[in-house]
Amino acid sequence: MTPGSPGDTPPPALSPQEAAALAKAHGLTPLGARPAFGDYVRSIWRRRSFLWTLSQAEAAEKNAEDRLGMLWTLLNPLLLVVSYFLIFGLLLDTKRGVTNFIAFLSIGVVVFGYSSAAITKGTKAIVGNMGLVRALRFPRALLPLSVTLTEFLMTLPAMAVLLVVMLITHEPLTWRWLLLPVALGIQTAILAGLVLMGARLVNVARDIGNLIPVVIRLLRYISGVFFSIDRYAEHHPTVQACLSLQPLALPMDLVRQCLMAEFPVKPLEWFVGLGWAVVLLGAGLWIFWRDEANYGRA
Amino acid sequence: MAAPEPKDSTPAVICSHVDITYRVQGAKKMGPVADEDDESLFKNLFSRGRELATIQSVEAVKDVSFVAYHGESIGIIGRNGSGKSTLLRSIAGLIPPTRGRIWISGEPSLLGVNAVLMSKLSGERNIYIGGQALGLTRAQIKERFADIVDFSGIGDSVYRPMKTYSSGQAARLRFAISTAATPDILMIDEALATGDADFKERSSAKVAEIRQQASTVFLVSHSNSTIRELCSRVLWMEKGVLLADGPTEEVVAAYEATLPKKKPPAKPKPLPPAEA
Repeated sequence: MTPGSPGDTPPPALSPQEAAALAKAHGLTPLGARPAFGDYVRSIWRRRSFLWTLSQAEAAEKNAEDRLGMLWTLLNPLLLVVSYFLIFGLLLDTKRGVTNFIAFLSIGVVVFGYSSAAITKGTKAIVGNMGLVRALRFPRALLPLSVTLTEFLMTLPAMAVLLVVMLITHEPLTWRWLLLPVALGIQTAILAGLVLMGARLVNVARDIGNLIPVVIRLLRYISGVFFSIDRYAEHHPTVQACLSLQPLALPMDLVRQCLMAEFPVKPLEWFVGLGWAVVLLGAGLWIFWRDEANYGRA
Repeated sequence: MAAPEPKDSTPAVICSHVDITYRVQGAKKMGPVADEDDESLFKNLFSRGRELATIQSVEAVKDVSFVAYHGESIGIIGRNGSGKSTLLRSIAGLIPPTRGRIWISGEPSLLGVNAVLMSKLSGERNIYIGGQALGLTRAQIKERFADIVDFSGIGDSVYRPMKTYSSGQAARLRFAISTAATPDILMIDEALATGDADFKERSSAKVAEIRQQASTVFLVSHSNSTIRELCSRVLWMEKGVLLADGPTEEVVAAYEATLPKKKPPAKPKPLPPAEA
């Protein structure tokens, strides 16, 4: 029998209209249709334990790579603080106007390190997990969100070291330390929003993935990781405001206000941070959701 | 064998004029440096040697339409690269079709031989990831964990990273995960071919059980004997086109007639001795 001979040809296909009518008559749901935004956010919330499972799995996967495992989450920021201290503290002397430069620098390195890791890895959350995307069905936003959560979990040991550094460098233990979780919450929401936007962008145009580290590097140098924006730009109020209120610089300032006596709490900055968190997370979810039906497309 | 289109039954999957075109981003050897737009100049500068990254389109599935009913078990056959797995993934809602529409009733569950979960992680973690993605809660998975491990027959290996599994072990675990929640639509991509005889028997029983619960089963396989054993209806894909759709025996026979002959097309036996 030759292919296509009578008897084994497929039955005539229904027209698209007939197919749609049949589907409607039997209550079938169309595939590849994007759920309503509200439903989408609710489905993410319902799957929050899956989010937790994914994040733990990713953290375990990362730690399984190296022999020292979890220890690297402490060693890396410590080594970075030491090398930055050598270059910016001793060689270039950027500590102008900061009394406790070691504490200042450590906060910068750890807090920005979290931003940098979350954005670098989170924006690849879809393209890097194509296997998972094409194997299982779940709200895709869980992937970038889980990477953000993973990076948060992996920053916690470094945060603990940070507190020890504060005490060693004679920072007083005050009620302001209690604001630290709020500052980290604001930062995490900001990062989740940026990561959601970036994940969609990189999924559409992979080449952009190569630019992300460059952008992060640039931000590292202008965000006040190792110098005080306020004191370097004090004669240019506009520049100062732009530099210190941008979403990646602000969390460092907030954490410094929590932990260091020489940085008084500025309520305005906290409200701006809260604003960034709400706006960026909302916009990130919305922007990511717009493309929900297309992740995994070949 | 059941009739291909039980008219009294309700449809479970409707596939209407589905096209799937892959955009393949890859290197093309010794491409001409013809276009002078910024993009290709940029790519030239940063590509190694004279390789140009180009985007090619591959039509994996072309204008496929069919209606599948509840309780049907449908085999998809065809040569390598004929679009079988792509079609299946599309029905599973994992690869959106480029054109055309698909409707389904309920939640699909795809079990693919290449369904990479997280290979660096243990089978245990993968059971939780897979189970939760299929909509089970952590508590439900905990409850069924022993059953899943038992069914897969991998024993204590479940605590080792999945990358250390043999292909058979991995396939068995995936089968056990995707059938842990009784799916409305079960799709099996070549997964049964890698199991041993004992596992094959258990999985056949499981597939029959799932069909009885009025679910629909799709099975992609290169083993015509597996298809004959488990399927009532067969779709034959050739170069992305749906060539035939009908009762298993007719379509498989027609397909076998086009294959290079090794042995005369054997009549279906209940348990053929060996797999290809």
